[in-house]
This record gives sequence, structure tokens and C-alpha cells, in this order.
Amino acid sequence: MHTKKILWQIITIILISCLICVGVNFSLIRKYFKGEFALSFISSEKYPAISFITLAEAENLFVTQNAVFIDSRERDEYISGHILGALNIPYEDRDSGLSLEEPGLSLQDTLVVYCDGSECQSSIQLAKLLDEYGFKDIRVFFGGWQEWVDAGLPVLNYNDSQ
Amino acid sequence: MIHNKHLIFAFRLVVGGVFIWAGLLKITSPLDFAQNIKNYQIFPHGGSFFLALVLPWIEIICGVFLLLGVFPRASALLVSLLLVVFLCLVLITIARGIDIDCGCFGSLSRKVDFRLIAIDSLLFFLALNIFFSRAENFPFGVRLS
Repeated sequence: MHTKKILWQIITIILISCLICVGVNFSLIRKYFKGEFALSFISSEKYPAISFITLAEAENLFVTQNAVFIDSRERDEYISGHILGALNIPYEDRDSGLSLEEPGLSLQDTLVVYCDGSECQSSIQLAKLLDEYGFKDIRVFFGGWQEWVDAGLPVLNYNDSQ
Repeated sequence: MIHNKHLIFAFRLVVGGVFIWAGLLKITSPLDFAQNIKNYQIFPHGGSFFLALVLPWIEIICGVFLLLGVFPRASALLVSLLLVVFLCLVLITIARGIDIDCGCFGSLSRKVDFRLIAIDSLLFFLALNIFFSRAENFPFGVRLS
């Protein structure tokens, strides 16, 4: 086997790929270094309705009741505890169809979508689906359930609902 | 290992074609693919981004080289290594119980499941056969003598 030669050829393939990649994606790379994708890989051109909010902004929307909170976690997690008044639209149900009409949502509503915390991705994925569905103002609360609970903000726990 | 010239040519068509197709579907929406990679919860944010930009091009170039017979062994080896990584990722994801789309074919991606393991394993088998096949099976390629 010509190990060294094959190794050089592999390096050549990778280098060619990197060069083409930089050439083709130059504007994306520039946006990345400007911090545009610091929180998520969502392009504002492709998903214009989606924005990201902090705990303070989420709390403000909660207090002023200017938004509908949507919990994108699984049903069991929602039942065991969720932000007070939040609706449950589990992202995992995407293949069987999201029940968007059922909760009485309007496309003009401001939606605050959350999941467990900054490590989970279902809130972002659900936000994308909601954007494609036609909702005009979707705000992803990145800190999610954990940050909300840690801040001692109103929740509905399983024990409370018994 | 299989050394039949026609079979090896067919393997190159299949593996090369699948990788070109997979790469083309990803380069059209690199941010979605970056999100797919991040969903595996293994790679850091920046790593997911740059991997999503480079990986589709590696797939396309390997695929084109396999079809044309340029650096066929190196392309087959690189494809095999990628498939081993993909297989490990899929197995880890299933073991962790994470329910995500694989991201393998852009918007046409399927869920991470055992069927995906079967597909990747088959491609891995074909790629290994290309790698270990004799030099005369690459008549138009760059010889490694």
C-alpha cells in the first residue's frame, strides 16, 4: 500500500474542499465572525419572524400578557412542570402534525417558544416550523424552563394541578 | 474483498452518486445542516458551523473523484472514514435516546434509526471494496504506482 501517497491525496481533497467552501460561503463566514449566528444557525432572511429573547424580555411579555408561551418539550415534561399558562406543542409530534388550531392561536399572536434550556434545540426547531406555518412574531426564549425556574418565576407544577 | 472490474465500477457509481447527491442537498442550506450537526449535541457551536460548510464539499469532491477515477483509493478511504464517523454518531445518538433528523440528505433527511445504520454500513462495505480493489480497476484514474 502506498500509504504516504494516499495520505497526501486525502490532504489534497480536504484542501480543495476547504478552498471551495471558503469561496462559496465567504459571506456566511463573515456573518459568523460578526456574531450573527452566536445563538443559533437561523438566517434572518430565511426565517424573518424568529428572534431570540432573554429572561428579562420573556418575563416582561409574561407580566404584560402580550404573548402566548409555548412549551416545545415532550408531553411528560410539560405535565411535570411548565411556565404558568404555557401551551404544549411538542416538537416530537411534528410528523403526526402539530395541533396549531386547537390552542386557538392566531398568526398575528406573539409567541414565546421555549424548551429545557440553552442545550435543547426543540424550541428552535419548533420556531422554524411555526415560521413556515405563517406566524409573524416568534420569540425563542433560549434560557428556557431551567432559567425560568431558577429565577423563581410563576410555574405550574404537577403537584399544583392535582 | 470483491475484485470484479464491473462490480467495482458499479460500486464507484453508487458510492460516488450517493455522496454527490448528499453533498448537493446540503450545500443549498448550510445553516440548516449546521443546526442538524448541533442537534447531535456532540460538536460545539462553532465546530458545527464550520463542519457544515466543509463536509458537503468533501462529500461532493470524493464523489466526483470516485466517478472519474481520480485518486480513487484516497477518495474511497476518506469516504470510508466519514462513514465510520457517521455510524459512530448514529449509534451514540440512538444510545442517548435523542430523537433527531440525521441531516444526511439535507431537507430529505430521515430520522436517526437502525435503518440508517444499515444504509451507512452498506456504503461502508462498498467503499472498502473500492479501496482494496486492484489498480487495473481504475483504468482512467491516477495510478498509485
